[in-house]
Amino acid sequence: MIRLALGTLRRHRGAYLGTFLAALLAVALLASGGLLLFSVLTAKPPADRFGAATAVVSGGREITLTITKEKKDKVKRKTKSERLTGAGTLPTDLAGRVAALPGVAAAVPDAAFPVLLAAGGRPVRGADDAPVIGHGWASAALTPFTLRAGAAPGRGEVVLDADLAARAAVQPGDPVQITTKTGVHTLRLSGVAAPAGRDGLPAQGALFLADAQVGEVSGLAGPTAVAVVAAPGADHSALLAGLRTEAGDAPVLTGDDKVRAELPGALPDYIGPISIFGFVIAITAFAAIFVLTGTVALGVRQRLRELALLRTAGATPGLLRRLLGVESVLVALLAAVPGCPIGVVVANLVAARFRELGAVPAQFTVQTNVGVLLAAVGAGVLVASVSARIAGRRAVRIAPTQALAETATAPGGGQIGRLLLAIPPAGGAIAVLTFVPMGGVLGMGMGFVSCALLLCAVAAAGPALVRPLTTGAAWLVGKAGVTGWLAGAVSRAEIRRVTAVAIPLMLMFAINATMLLNSALTTKLATEEQTLRTAPAAAQVTAPGGLPLGTVERIAALPGVTGTAATLPTRVVLNQGGKPEDHPAQGLFDAGAERALDLGVRRGALAGEGTFAASDDLADTRSWRVGDNVEMWLADGQHVTLRLAAIYERSRGFGELVLPAQLVAAHDPRGLAAMVALRGDDVTDRVRAALPALTVVPTIEAAPAGDAQNQQGAWELLVVISLGFTAIAVVNTFAIAAAARRREYADLRLAGATTGQIWRMATRESVIAVAVGLLLGCAVTAIVVGVFSTAQDGRFRLIVDAGTYLGMLGGVGLLGLLAGAVPTRLVLRRGSLPAIAEGR
Amino acid sequence: MYRSGGLAGRLVDMRNTSENPASGGGVVELVDVTRTYPDGAGVRALDGVTVAFGRGTFSAVMGPSGSGKSTLLHCAAGLDRPDSGRVTLAGREIGTLREPKLTEERRRRVGFVFQSYNLLDALSVWHNVLLPQRLAGVRPDKRWAREVIARVGLSGRENDRPGQLSGGQRQRVALARALAARPEVIFADEPTGALDLSTGREVLSLLREAVGSLGTAVVMVTHDPAAAAWADRVVFLADGRMVDELVDPTAEKVAERMMAVSVR
Repeated sequence: MIRLALGTLRRHRGAYLGTFLAALLAVALLASGGLLLFSVLTAKPPADRFGAATAVVSGGREITLTITKEKKDKVKRKTKSERLTGAGTLPTDLAGRVAALPGVAAAVPDAAFPVLLAAGGRPVRGADDAPVIGHGWASAALTPFTLRAGAAPGRGEVVLDADLAARAAVQPGDPVQITTKTGVHTLRLSGVAAPAGRDGLPAQGALFLADAQVGEVSGLAGPTAVAVVAAPGADHSALLAGLRTEAGDAPVLTGDDKVRAELPGALPDYIGPISIFGFVIAITAFAAIFVLTGTVALGVRQRLRELALLRTAGATPGLLRRLLGVESVLVALLAAVPGCPIGVVVANLVAARFRELGAVPAQFTVQTNVGVLLAAVGAGVLVASVSARIAGRRAVRIAPTQALAETATAPGGGQIGRLLLAIPPAGGAIAVLTFVPMGGVLGMGMGFVSCALLLCAVAAAGPALVRPLTTGAAWLVGKAGVTGWLAGAVSRAEIRRVTAVAIPLMLMFAINATMLLNSALTTKLATEEQTLRTAPAAAQVTAPGGLPLGTVERIAALPGVTGTAATLPTRVVLNQGGKPEDHPAQGLFDAGAERALDLGVRRGALAGEGTFAASDDLADTRSWRVGDNVEMWLADGQHVTLRLAAIYERSRGFGELVLPAQLVAAHDPRGLAAMVALRGDDVTDRVRAALPALTVVPTIEAAPAGDAQNQQGAWELLVVISLGFTAIAVVNTFAIAAAARRREYADLRLAGATTGQIWRMATRESVIAVAVGLLLGCAVTAIVVGVFSTAQDGRFRLIVDAGTYLGMLGGVGLLGLLAGAVPTRLVLRRGSLPAIAEGR
Repeated sequence: MYRSGGLAGRLVDMRNTSENPASGGGVVELVDVTRTYPDGAGVRALDGVTVAFGRGTFSAVMGPSGSGKSTLLHCAAGLDRPDSGRVTLAGREIGTLREPKLTEERRRRVGFVFQSYNLLDALSVWHNVLLPQRLAGVRPDKRWAREVIARVGLSGRENDRPGQLSGGQRQRVALARALAARPEVIFADEPTGALDLSTGREVLSLLREAVGSLGTAVVMVTHDPAAAAWADRVVFLADGRMVDELVDPTAEKVAERMMAVSVR
């Protein structure tokens, strides 16, 4: 069998080129997506902040909820965790108690807090834009940092790591300015420190204060971690046991895990990248499998003649099926040889671009894992062989007697079977579109899922949908002279071929248009709501990194300022039926007689301490009413119960919950206002005069604030990858379809067609196929975007952004026409007539 | 030995009508035509062939495999270009014509009936028959088309696709298509090659009839002496050269000459 398969492969090298290319792309993409996902999932933060410590007791870094379910006799316990963006603190006396344990040489508390550093009026950040993290000087020994110049910090003094000091261009003795939630502090640089052999730590710029001053600058109630150094020769297991008893609920970390005791903001964040790369692999895997299936099926159909001949030579249908299966496995394995290295290269290129965009941490590297590569190859081989067997299922049923007479057409039918096959994905799409709330955070992902399901349904129904569209398009094109008429007739007769090229075009248009349009819509709505929210304000104040609440209060107290609203971005964890769930939120500082921000409060009214407000979407899904008490966890894990005082509607690009500013400032590690909206006459000039360091912009000129920038970049890169892949798939399919038509063109030449006429006919056929593909793509896009848009704000939109829509239509259409035209031209040039003698 | 008496008698009648070839000599003339294929180590498929085929005559070209008979046909029909020598079709030199002029010339004057039918599966019988005229941009003569379809015995099958027809029927569609454009010459390459005996005979008699009643010249390549015997004249090729010629052939005489040609 293998020898037979190898033989046919060798003889029909050209015919397998298309399948080979599709398999190569599929393997390469699956490999690169898999490697990226694997790399973010297994990425370990650099474990050397506590390098000199034996073990670290960490404050809370995540919220864990346990639900107990009683099922018959069994009791099921499910534990789910959600990471915090802040760091919980430990009791202040813990270090002292731990130090008293036997075998402990030293117990050092570390209070880590984010700091905005400025020198000479210029903000300074760490290597690769890493945040600056403040610590007490005692904890410098935990890495260990040692002084390179100057002295340890005293009161009013600070030590920077060597990398930061170089970036800030400061020498011991120079002043530096640091901003934390407690305010702006001007300190004197007393020295420069560094870990052995390096200028600083990866992913954070380290700044050290005098231990006595940490509390007042950081605003922390206690240490975020307590590190323990064992005495020489101490029994580690006994020490750890003692530590665990003393620490109580707080986790005791050792080895590589120690770094998890660090402030979450100072660790490379892989949560975002995991969802991004999850999306990358979902899209590429879907497109790859989709296209590979289609290409293999097309390849099998074009070899019907050969299959028929084998059938006459005595091959049983089972044998042919196995032959097709083995062949496709061989082709896919062959394709994996270049596919894997290409996948590795693509993964590295994508990772590099994501690093540039800041969508993944600068420390992120792609790990070339053999298991992932093998899995990608396995998936490619599996898809190729399964689709070859499915495509061959009907083809191999050719009766030997019919074989020669019916060389060109496969046994038709299966129309009903195909429609039956289309029902599950179509049903799935309808279910997703109907029952999943597309308005929430799941919207984009679910939009993609429903789009993918609809595409599967259309592909399964295939000719049944393509036929009526082709008839229509053929009728129109048929008006254009004899070549148009011929193109129409050929297209109508070869519905399967039209389907084969129209489906990848549909995929290309629908997938990318859906992603682009949905994201454009989200951005557009967010910008609109941002404008509405800030409409009452006359001016907006910002500072790089944010403003402490103290500064906000000073601004609010300025004469002429009649209303002040400051927002402090944070995260809040809610209990979603036993599962902790992270939500974006804002702390709101509100002062003055007039409201400077208009959140569009629908019910209730914004109130102060002890209350919160929720977006209408969140309130709806949770069935909250004004007056309900809701438990939640703040950024540092503080458990609070607040009363719902108001429900507002303008939550896009803002947050789903609004909390009192003081509460957020106390429990979010940053606790800084990102923006201050002001009302009053001439506030711009007044604030500029009073606080010249701040940026004050009249609201009309203010750019919509948003940290969605790098998310947007990642999203665009995703579209580029998927556009590139689907484009190659389209070109590949067109080329396969065109290459098999040499014989047909020769027949036309004999009937008296000039090459020009065949060329025009082929172009018109491409026009028909492209029109059909685009119509299907537009239909799928319309459904998904329409539902998505309705879920967003109740308005049904089809086009969202005319520029993007027309660009996609034009781009995909042009690509389809070129992909149809170029291979035909090559086929025609390479022997338009002698082909009648050979090639049969 | 293949023919029944009745058919033979009919044939003699037809030959009588064709004994007066139209004046002006050949509708197709090849003068000193040479064709060498670059691959195959420079083998000369045609080596200085000079031959003419007259209006209203039925000629057969025979020869062993590789003797150049198909190349001769392709060069004469303008499907292939000779390396040297002249090819004229109805008095016009076509060896130097460029595309698309060559195609235009060909579709005005030439019809093809090849072993593999060369019909378009996507088109019905009716549209296949009218296709060359449509491609030529002339208004198709539908009455004539209906008549030739009737003559080849396919009335009522106009809307069928070639895929629904038998081999013989397909070849008759090809013939109807060739005739529908009223060509001056029909080139036939093993037109009976894929057909059984009686079907083959029907096709040959239709070709004969076209020569007789329409004055079309037919140039047919075949390896079958029985088929060649339907012609007025048989030209024998070997190694790219014209080596013999036989007027008023019978199957026996053709077979004899073929033997001689093959063992040369």
